[in-house]
Amino acid sequence: MLDGIITGLTTAVMPFNLLMVVVGCFAGTFIGMLPGLGPISAVALMIPITYGLDPSSGIILMAGVYYGAVFGGSTSSILINAPGCASTVVTSFDGYPLAQQKQAGKALALAAYSSFTGGTIGAIVLLFAAPALASVSLSFQSSDYFALMILGLTAVAAFSGKGQVIKALIMTVFGLMIATIGTDVTSGTTRFTFGNVNLIDGISFLLLAMATFALAEVVMTVLKGQHREKEEAMDMSQLGSMKLSKEEILHVAPTIGRSSIFGFLVGVLPGAGATIASFLAYGLERNLASAKEKLKFGKGALRGLAAPESANNAASTGSFVPLLTLGIPGSGTTAIMLGALIAYGIQPGPRLFIDNPDVFWSVIISMYFGNLVLLILNLPLIPYISRLLAIPRPILIPLILFFSITGVYLVSFNSFDIHMMALITAIAIFLKLLEFPMAPMLLGFILGGLMENNLSRALTISDGSFAFLWERPLTLGIVSVALIVLIIPPLIELLRRSKTKEPLPRGPETSISEGEG
Amino acid sequence: MTLSKDHIGGLVFLALSATYGYYAGHIALLPGDEFEPFHAQSLPNALAILGALLSIVLLLTANRSPGSTLSLTGYDFRLVTQLLVLVVAFALALDWVGFFIATIFFLIGGYWLLGERRIKTLLVASVPFAGGIWFVLTQLLDIYLAPGQLFTHLFGG
Repeated sequence: MLDGIITGLTTAVMPFNLLMVVVGCFAGTFIGMLPGLGPISAVALMIPITYGLDPSSGIILMAGVYYGAVFGGSTSSILINAPGCASTVVTSFDGYPLAQQKQAGKALALAAYSSFTGGTIGAIVLLFAAPALASVSLSFQSSDYFALMILGLTAVAAFSGKGQVIKALIMTVFGLMIATIGTDVTSGTTRFTFGNVNLIDGISFLLLAMATFALAEVVMTVLKGQHREKEEAMDMSQLGSMKLSKEEILHVAPTIGRSSIFGFLVGVLPGAGATIASFLAYGLERNLASAKEKLKFGKGALRGLAAPESANNAASTGSFVPLLTLGIPGSGTTAIMLGALIAYGIQPGPRLFIDNPDVFWSVIISMYFGNLVLLILNLPLIPYISRLLAIPRPILIPLILFFSITGVYLVSFNSFDIHMMALITAIAIFLKLLEFPMAPMLLGFILGGLMENNLSRALTISDGSFAFLWERPLTLGIVSVALIVLIIPPLIELLRRSKTKEPLPRGPETSISEGEG
Repeated sequence: MTLSKDHIGGLVFLALSATYGYYAGHIALLPGDEFEPFHAQSLPNALAILGALLSIVLLLTANRSPGSTLSLTGYDFRLVTQLLVLVVAFALALDWVGFFIATIFFLIGGYWLLGERRIKTLLVASVPFAGGIWFVLTQLLDIYLAPGQLFTHLFGG
């Protein structure tokens, strides 16, 4: 393990990789500050750039963007009450009231310190948890992998919010259907290409990610007419001091510690992500607070700001555990990173830290650097980064569209891909209007090929019998967890319905599967 | 009966699953594949059945509350359609007039559609940007960008 850490440290401190962390954090902060664009869109926009880099640098850049975007989202939550992504919605509950009390500087500093501590604690736990889990998962067989993928797909659906489970499952199946387009790797026959040579290689992951997240998100803002809204000016003279007193630090320290560990654990669960972690941590902290303190929540309580901020960053780190050790993404953003790793020819999973220790360890170590960069560089530069938001929307939107489109075109040099992007964006908008979540589709698409291969292998080994699902204890265990995860949410809802005898209102639109990740 | 978002979604996916299942049956199999436990049609067939079942479940459990119907008011579909047409036109322009001119055309078109009418802004925010990107790609990153079929036809390849 020590060898691995040293390898990772050597890779992570290479000047170019350090530059990638800094660039990633800046770019992420800027994109994250734009309302409507969250970490998923930010990471998706970076994919074309990372194709020109080596795998470690590419993943380091994406991890930096991920952190930056979460931090950028917090900044716009605090300053203008417009969360850039779902995971920072809770930040605005107490962050914005603080800004209204002319304590925006303090709120930003506290958000940065909490994020830093959350991320750091997360990175340290990841340092020990990931290799331990990876060594256990080395004994996994194709049947276990198949079961794990089923677990990953069902977990994302299960955490999609009340009333969204069926829709999320349908989207997962839709993603799996899209994954079957192209040449079947085992037999070499083409499927669903309808004689079009451009479809023989299937639909590229980059195209799908860019069309459903970058392009569709931007076009949705146009559809809703948000491009006509003027960005609320951030009055930087009202920032106030960025210093926290000793009493304030002592007051929030236990909250940050608790929420970081809690956030990390929630982030590790496949499917749960930073949004759920931040909401739960906020709720937990409010329950733990004294009756007098409870009244302050929502009116600028420091604990109410520190809890979600540390939890969402720790959860972002935690979501890397299933990605790096099992090859199963814990969130929408890590799903995109999984796709990027596969595009590099790297198979994330238990063999990653044996076959590509430099990628495995440098990602973990650069996460710590990322947190450091956010604290040291981004915080003082917030007033300047936020000036970029002054670019008028009619100018900014076509530029984002241009980067999304050319990002895909410059990889394939095939204009057919741009036509496909326009078509997929139109379909994505239609599905968004019907409130279908997009992340499960992307996850289904990414895991589709792997799942088919593992299922094919497992079935061939067991001579066509599905007995492998219950004969191997480990497979049975994972399948059982998947079933439990899938059955429990609808059961709880049914029970509630029978108690109240009324249909329950739908869950919040900003479900985990949609907004963040 | 009012048609809610869930009903529309369920019906769309039911139709999709049926069509997908129909074409799944047309996937060519290698000789003897039909006796294998797993072949090119296996997963598509399973997905078609699963998709249809889930769509039916969605239709049966659909949310029927008054706020669940699809309301299309307040959305600017015209502008979005124009933007998507611009994207398609950009793809065609890339093939015919090359990257540099297509980029200028796309950016000016995009700014114009979103309400920017000042000629100076339209030009300043597009031409130097397109030139800069073209320079970075071709000169710094050494990426070959085809000049466009129109120029190849006019001046030879």
